[in-house]
Amino acid sequence: MAMIRVEGLRKTYGDFPAVVGSDFEVETGEIFGVVGPNGAGKTTTLKMLAGLVEPTSGTAEVAGRDAGDPEMRRNLGFLPEESPLYEDMTPRSYLQFFADLYDVPREAATERTESTLDRLELEHRERRLGDMSKGMKRKVAIARSLVNDPDLLIYDEPASGLDPLTTNYVLEFTRELADQGKTVLFSAHNLYHVESVCDRVVIMNRGEIIARGTVPEIRAAHGSTDYHVFTTVSVDGATPDRRSESGAERYRTVVPDMDAVEAVREQATAAGGEVVDIRTREQSLEDIFLDLARETPPAAAEGQGREPKASGTRARAESDGRAPSDVDADAIQTDPEGGRRQ
Amino acid sequence: MTRSLRERVAAVVRIARWEVERSAGIVDRRTAVLGVLALVLAGTILGAGAFAGGVALDRDIYRVGVDQDSPYREPVERSVALDARPPDPDALRDGDVDVLVREGQFRAADTPKGRAALSELRSAVRAYNVGLMRSQENGSAAFPVVVVLQYVSRSAGIPDAAVADDDGGSGSGIGSGADGGAGGATDGAETGSDGTTDDEETAASTGSGGPLGVPALSGINPLGGGSSGSPAEIQPPFPFGSLVLAFAFLVPMNFVVQAYGSTMLNERINRRGELLLVAPISPGDIVAGKTLPYLAAMLALTALVALGVGGSVVAVAAVIPIALVFLAATFAGAMFARSFKELTFVTVTVSVFLTAYTFVPAIFANVTPIALISPLTVVVRDLQPLESVTPGAFLFATGPFVLCAGVLFLLGVGIYREEDLFTQRPVPLKFLDALDAQVSRPRDVAVLSGLSIPFVFVAELLAIAVLFALPVSLTVPLLLVVVALVEELAKSLHVYAVFESDTFPRTRRVALVLGALSGLGFFVGEKFTAVAQVVGLPELALGQAAFAPSGIGVFSAAGLLFAPLVLHVVTAGLTALGARRDVRWYAAAFVGSVLVHTAYNLTVVSRLG
Repeated sequence: MAMIRVEGLRKTYGDFPAVVGSDFEVETGEIFGVVGPNGAGKTTTLKMLAGLVEPTSGTAEVAGRDAGDPEMRRNLGFLPEESPLYEDMTPRSYLQFFADLYDVPREAATERTESTLDRLELEHRERRLGDMSKGMKRKVAIARSLVNDPDLLIYDEPASGLDPLTTNYVLEFTRELADQGKTVLFSAHNLYHVESVCDRVVIMNRGEIIARGTVPEIRAAHGSTDYHVFTTVSVDGATPDRRSESGAERYRTVVPDMDAVEAVREQATAAGGEVVDIRTREQSLEDIFLDLARETPPAAAEGQGREPKASGTRARAESDGRAPSDVDADAIQTDPEGGRRQ
Repeated sequence: MTRSLRERVAAVVRIARWEVERSAGIVDRRTAVLGVLALVLAGTILGAGAFAGGVALDRDIYRVGVDQDSPYREPVERSVALDARPPDPDALRDGDVDVLVREGQFRAADTPKGRAALSELRSAVRAYNVGLMRSQENGSAAFPVVVVLQYVSRSAGIPDAAVADDDGGSGSGIGSGADGGAGGATDGAETGSDGTTDDEETAASTGSGGPLGVPALSGINPLGGGSSGSPAEIQPPFPFGSLVLAFAFLVPMNFVVQAYGSTMLNERINRRGELLLVAPISPGDIVAGKTLPYLAAMLALTALVALGVGGSVVAVAAVIPIALVFLAATFAGAMFARSFKELTFVTVTVSVFLTAYTFVPAIFANVTPIALISPLTVVVRDLQPLESVTPGAFLFATGPFVLCAGVLFLLGVGIYREEDLFTQRPVPLKFLDALDAQVSRPRDVAVLSGLSIPFVFVAELLAIAVLFALPVSLTVPLLLVVVALVEELAKSLHVYAVFESDTFPRTRRVALVLGALSGLGFFVGEKFTAVAQVVGLPELALGQAAFAPSGIGVFSAAGLLFAPLVLHVVTAGLTALGARRDVRWYAAAFVGSVLVHTAYNLTVVSRLG
């Protein structure tokens, strides 16, 4: 059963299109990733689903109700990218206040708050939030998103700005929530995070969805497998391979398919050499994303790249202030560990 | 929203409780204790001062050498400024005393202070003698001539002057026989004034019910330089005491709105309020919940002040609309401001404007019905025992304030949403956003024009109050221009806002439809200004000039009933045509509309004579 159903969802600010006709469904109990660079429309999409931003056109349904319906919001846990807390409150009073707002009975709220804080290993529960570290504040924010025991969680960049240890903790916790049957809509521009926790993914760029599916499906549809052919003699396009285990001289040629592998073999044989090894390497989601982003035609979104009107009344940038930018490697965070999953 | 009223009230109460807890949490215990101590200390000092007869900065500044047996000894001892010393001639020479009284002779040091001391002694003796005469059982023997003053409204055509209705004339010579050895310090002119004061004092003292009472200062014009020489020069009554006490109602509001503005803007800083917007409550609930504690604080302070100065429930009820406007204007300001710096500017502007708007007309509480444009006038009248406030006058004074507050809250709540709350734009553009947020269908333009009426009403009343003192021949044309300006602005600003945000297509047809709707909405709303009649404002020349062109008070002229509709539709259509293009065209069309409107106003007023 679909927890979220989005059809033709569109949001424009003045003549600036932030989201251009999105369609997707999220199944109950799924972790669904929304991926894209700054200004891709991820946050606007999430905020439309949370009922914070009114769509210009299209429909967004959550559990059969219109997004923004108060009853829908009662069953929603939202974690914005920036979640400034009321710094003069303590974690307990802060969580209790939100539990009250969601009509959670006092006893149940206390029990839920304490157990969530236990699971998040958050100590100092009577310390002022203003005196806490960013990681601790993020944990409180996550606890706040769970205080009403929602079926749907919308997490916008949940690990943004956190150290690797806390990041891993948050990602594992997100996985645990899905295991409990909760649906998680997860936005990130760190693709490693997405690959590690998301069941399915949509890739957004310039306000539109440019790829969708599970990571293997996206890889199959949009990625490619490279063939690394190692020969004892140099052939066209070969580079010396310095990682030969035996120490013998050999060369590496990267080709896209088996026909090309066969051509390399013929060249090597003709030169008096031979093929000693063939290996395959799949593209990472990040590589695929970069390729797709480069391929996105500028006409995909009308008026894209234009800054919103500086004056006038309602034309404004995406609510988080991010105007669309050209996609480049700097816009994508890489794995904080420095590696890519092969 | 399908939530029940009970759920909404519960949500508002929760947020209000949280706001109180948070606000209390921000002030640490030590600061709170110090604050309470400071308040107690200030109260103690003021109380002690009041108990000791008031704060006297001139206590014992003049030293008078006078014998124990001298008849001047008692007047000197009773005077706050005089200090009785032994009558030693050497002391005068050495500068130890300023005035020496010996054997009925007065010698003052030949210094400015000596002369001032002598003058003060003269006043003290005079006051002592008047007191003696008042204590006499036979009042007519003590004051053989009585002057009764009766003030009448300027609009009734009777010139401003005191009416002396007895044979006493100016009252000269009243004090001549009552000096009692005071050294001839009294003259006729002074007693004329005294008589007036006496009369007013009697009136005021009979009803000052509060613990502090109303100082019996009515009839004295402290700005007029003191006593007047003849009854013809006596100034109209100036309710100084009541005004001072009425001002006490305004003072706490200025502090409360500072805290209120801060808490509202705080929700906008770093997107802090975003999570409240995701909760299953409406923006209206959030705003109501956050406003409630501050409104309650204002009510509590108002009740305390009323208790202190002897104001009745009427005074409290008249102050509540002022409190609402203070809060509403501050809330709107907090929604428009980009930073605390801008908010400070907004709140100070709100405080100064509202204080001036409410306080200045109240000065004329006893003079003209125009004073009723301020609810504070109701408070001043309430504090004066012989004045009464009719329900109509109360409605006239407070109604526009309540409506203005409602509209300001409505505008602010309209942009209490994610898309507007966290964007940083100049205040004027935010204001246009707030107007635009109220319009989703063409008919909303008519509603918004109607909702502008309280502001138009207040602005026009303010113009009347400002121009009131000038000659009618000059102010009537001036007022007609101001009225046209205000009304054309009210009809066109939101139309400009919706075109600027592209809420509707910028076609000529749409502009004409929106203009017509705006004119219609304004026309309908304008009819509610008929409330002006309840206080007789149209009877004034300026009141007639301001309201007659709208058909108020002249319903018998059938043509004038619908002529304003044609006028409003035409001029609003004209500005809408300009607004659909750009700001320059809008400005040009606006000027044209004002000219047409002014010409219409002049025609109507001249026809009515």
